[in-house]
Order: sequence, then structure tokens, then C-alpha cells
Amino acid sequence: MSAPALKAALEDLLRSRRLQEDAPPLRGEDRRLRPLPTGVPAVDALLGGGLPRGELSEVHGPRSSGRTGLALSFAAACVARGSLAAWVDPADRLAPASAAATGMDLSRLLWLRGETRGPRARALPAAVAAVATLIGSGLFEAVVLDVAAFAPHDLGRLPGPTWIRLQRMIADSPGALLLLSESHVARGPRGASLELRSGGPRWSGAPGPGRVLRGLGAEVSAGRHGARRTAFELPAFV
Amino acid sequence: MYGCLHSPRPLPSTGVLLDVAREFTPRVEGLGATVLLDLHGLGRVWESPAVLGQGLLDAGQGRGLDLQAALAWTRMAALLAARGLAGLTLVPPGREGEVLAPLPLELLGLPPERQELFRRWGLQSLGDLAALPAVGLAERLGPEGARLRRMARGEDEQPLVATPRPESFECTLELEWPVDGLEPLSFLLARVLEPLCAGLRARGRRAAALALDLVLVDRRSYRRVLEPAAPSADPRTWRTLLLLDLEAHPPDEAIAKVTVRAEATPARVVQFSLLDPAQPSPERLAETLARLHEWTAAGRAGAPALVDTHRPGAFVMSSFSPGAPASVRAAAAPRVALRVFRPPLPAHVALRDGEPAFVSAAGIRGAVAERAGPWRASGDWWDVAWSREEWDVSLGPAGSYRIFRDRIKDAWFVEGEMD
Repeated sequence: MSAPALKAALEDLLRSRRLQEDAPPLRGEDRRLRPLPTGVPAVDALLGGGLPRGELSEVHGPRSSGRTGLALSFAAACVARGSLAAWVDPADRLAPASAAATGMDLSRLLWLRGETRGPRARALPAAVAAVATLIGSGLFEAVVLDVAAFAPHDLGRLPGPTWIRLQRMIADSPGALLLLSESHVARGPRGASLELRSGGPRWSGAPGPGRVLRGLGAEVSAGRHGARRTAFELPAFV
Repeated sequence: MYGCLHSPRPLPSTGVLLDVAREFTPRVEGLGATVLLDLHGLGRVWESPAVLGQGLLDAGQGRGLDLQAALAWTRMAALLAARGLAGLTLVPPGREGEVLAPLPLELLGLPPERQELFRRWGLQSLGDLAALPAVGLAERLGPEGARLRRMARGEDEQPLVATPRPESFECTLELEWPVDGLEPLSFLLARVLEPLCAGLRARGRRAAALALDLVLVDRRSYRRVLEPAAPSADPRTWRTLLLLDLEAHPPDEAIAKVTVRAEATPARVVQFSLLDPAQPSPERLAETLARLHEWTAAGRAGAPALVDTHRPGAFVMSSFSPGAPASVRAAAAPRVALRVFRPPLPAHVALRDGEPAFVSAAGIRGAVAERAGPWRASGDWWDVAWSREEWDVSLGPAGSYRIFRDRIKDAWFVEGEMD
């Protein structure tokens, strides 16, 4: 058997047996049909496997609704598959200890920290330009843009076609762009829009000494008018 | 014919003797304070060996070196004669043993125990050793004995092993008229980078750093040095990196001369796997990080790394250079994230029975619905001491936060938001 025929036979075998769940796409396989899991089973079930590749998706919700935990879990799941993740953080809010608590190999996470001392108006355009560079490189499977610290009027100052342009850029990429915000901002035509609501903190016992924060409850809805709903709990990291 | 130059005095640098020798032939072998020259084929250039030998000495004299030179038909005879005899020595063919015979045995560079043995045998000179029977020496000292005897007779053991020239990856372009602006410079950079990178690739090297030296029209020099995250020998990558750097730091005058120098490093071997995701190309990664120059230059881009300390929130930013993914990968575990405030937000906290009852800070305000704490921690008393009392508090719909009281400043802060 010739070498190309042998390779094709081996790839057929790998494809049929699914020897490795998170293996890279094989020849002839449309990688866009394989979504990127978020690492939270309830959310993956809601989305039919995870966030779609080549799309701008968003996670939005109020404070303490678990949106950052969900986005970090998504980045950690990508890194766990051997890919690279980027976290664009114009407000400089990421805690590396929280990222490490997800089990993520931090050496594979590119973190871009915004300058918090200058005018806030300059931070967002610079972050959007950085996201465009990261997407254009094609190196990162997960790119997260955290704009949750910015008010809607700050986001409204960005040029109108910003999100359309980013969606067009990510459309040619095997990765996904996730927008982390306080309220709905934008999503691609096939991208997911996850709305989170806080389910309240979970405590380890009755008030008093020795009580610790056990985790945060969250309710998530997706689809048109939030038709599909589920709930999950994020355990506390310390 | 072989030649040999030897300096009986310490040299200012080892390379200076090689430079003298390379004026005559490219095939030279450096042996510390001695250098061997392969002079085959020079008979048509120099009228006699004596003139060539004198030329060697004169070249050394021109550089301020007082040298001894020897020319012989074996490299060993030339080497020993140059080390043992002052001035210029010409060893006629077939008379190597005769010329070398009076020279001391120390010229062979013997180890002390062997030298002591030969002294006890009564051997003083190379001639004494050469006169011994080869079979007897081999019986007593093994192959080493026969080898030393051949050396003492001026016979060669091995061919000349040429010392390679120090690698220099440099390319210069002098311009007929000065150029101003990045667009014309882009074409010129391609002209110097392509041969430079071709040279690097031909030797299996990559450039870890690249220095760009520009001579401006007012004869000032302007230098930029780039050290990307990964070495590269791709001219397009280097051109992009240089142009991006010059965009941020343009020279203030037109350019008259362009020189690029590469710091070479061995090419990285990347082994791929059938079942792992494709790893990023080092060139593309370097180019991407260069495009994020605004972030990387200020140290605001990289891979975070935790620090081995109990100080809350301690981390360092390291350069982003991901290696191969770990073969055994831990599954990602979702966790509550802390969205920290840098620096922590000063807060006013009202206490009831020693516990936080109301928190007020910039953008955060609410009665504490539930709480856990206090968790006391302190450290670094030998340096910049810190001591704090942490609480996890829920302000109901206003969110959950980690707050702490700085026990040294006796002030409250909001460290971050649980999310």
C-alpha cells in the first residue's frame, strides 16, 4: 500500500473509531461542525456541544452571575486540548490565581492587560485592535474580550461596524471569539448569546466561624427570547 | 607544503594569529599560540619558500607580533620546528628527523608522568626518541609509544583540520541617494534581509536577534535591536518586525546606509504529532507579538505566572512562548473567578458585632446579606510587610465581593468581585 493510501486508511480508522475525542480535525472533516466545549457540562448541553467555531459569541450578565468563571472555563477547556487561548482585558480585572484554579496551563494563555491609569475611552479601541490582530494570526482557538467593566455608553462610542468586522474576521478562523459583558452587545449570525443570572452565593453552613463561600449559583438562558434555560454552580476556588 | 607560526609570548587575543595566517591561505588550523597553514599551491605566487616564510614573519611584525615560523613538507615537522627554533626555519623534504633531532622532548606536550619516564630512560631530545626501535617502544608503551616516535621524526598523524571562520551574518547596502519614509525602506530591507536569511538557512541557523544599523544623511548612526519571542530565518517576518518597530521609533533623518546583523542560533526542531492540534509556527507567533507592540513594549502582554508566596494576588508576567502541550492534560475545572480591582478599592465598612454589615466603595454599595470570615493572613515582615483580615460578603443583588481590612493601615478595601 502506498504512503498516501496508508495515511488515508489510518485517518479513516481514526475518524470511525473516534480514538481521541479532542483530536484535531482530519482531512476532509469540517472542523466548524465541531463546537468548542465551555467546560461546564450544563452549558455545553444547552448549546449542543459548546460555542460554535468561527463565530462571535457572548456571555453577559450582572455582577456575580458567573460570567467570568464560565469564560475562564471556556479558555481552560481550549488550553486543555493543547490549543492556545488569549484573554484581552482592557480593564485589567483578571486574577491569574482564578485562571490557575481552573487547571489551566498559564503558559498557554496570552493575557493582554489594559492600561488603567489613562483615559478609559482609549482602552476599548486598543483592545478591539488587539483582538483583530489575535484573530488574524489564526493561532488562538479561544479569544476572550472582557468588556464587562465598561458601561454601555463606553461601548457605544466604538465605531458602528466594529462587531461586524470582528465577526467577518473570525468567520475564517477555526477558533471562537467570546465577548464578556454586563449586557447584550453583539453576536455573530450563528454565535451563541448566553444570558446569565445570579443564582446567589452558596455557603458551607450556618453563619458563624468556619463558614466559607462554597460557590456561586447561576442560571443561563440561550436562544431566541431565552427559550432554552439551565442552571449550574461554580465551585469556589479557595 | 605546510607552514607554522608560533608566538613565544602571550598573544593579545587568539584570533590575531589566525588573522595573520588567513592573509596567506584560508586553510589554517589554530592551536592556541600556534597556527598551522596549508600552503599547497602557493609556489606559483611566491618565488621561493624562504620568501614565503619571510612574508609570514613580516605579516606578524606588521601586527606587532614577534613570531617564529617554519615551513616543512609535513605539518608535524613545521609545528615542532616553529615551536622550538627562533626566526624562520626551512625544513628540506626528507630531512625532518635531522632538523628536529636536537629539539627538546617537551615540545611534544607530553603528560608529566610520561616525561618523567623518558627522563629516567635518559631521553633528552626528539632525536633520542626517534632513534629508539619502533617495535620496542610499542611493546612497552602500546600504540602511544609508536605514535610519539612518529611525531619525533616529524611524520604526520592526521590531516590538517581547518578552523572555520567565525560566523558573521551581516549585510550592508549603501544607497546611491538617501531614502526617507518607511515605504521605500521596505524594499531596501527586503534586499538585505533575503541574502542574510538565505545564509542563515544554509547553515541551519535562525536569527535570535537582529540589529538594524542605519547611517543617516548627517552621518549620525541610528540603531534598533529586535529580540522577538522566537528565532526566525524568514525574511518576510523580519521585514515586518523591523517596519513595525521603525513605525514606532522612526529615524529623524533620511537614511544613507542600511546594515543588518543577525545573532545566529541553531534552528529549532519541532516534532509534530498526528493526534495533537497543530502547534503555532514560531515565526507567526513572533510576528503576532510584534504587532501587539503597544502592549508588549509596556510589559502588559504575556503569560501570567504565579509566584511562590502567600501574598494575595501576587503574579509575574512572563514572555509568551508556549512550548509543546503537556502529554497528560488535566481536564478544565470551572471555578468561581475573582475579578480583582487593581489597586484595591478603598471602602467604608460599617461593622455590627465586629462583622461587616454595610459596604460602600466606588460603584459598590449595599447592606451585607451574608458573610464568611474573618480569614487573617500576614507575611513578608522582613520586607514590605502585609497583614489583612479577609471577608467574603454577599450584598444581595449588588453581588458578592471579597473585602479585607489592612491591619497595618487600619483601612478597608474591596479586593474584587466574585464572578
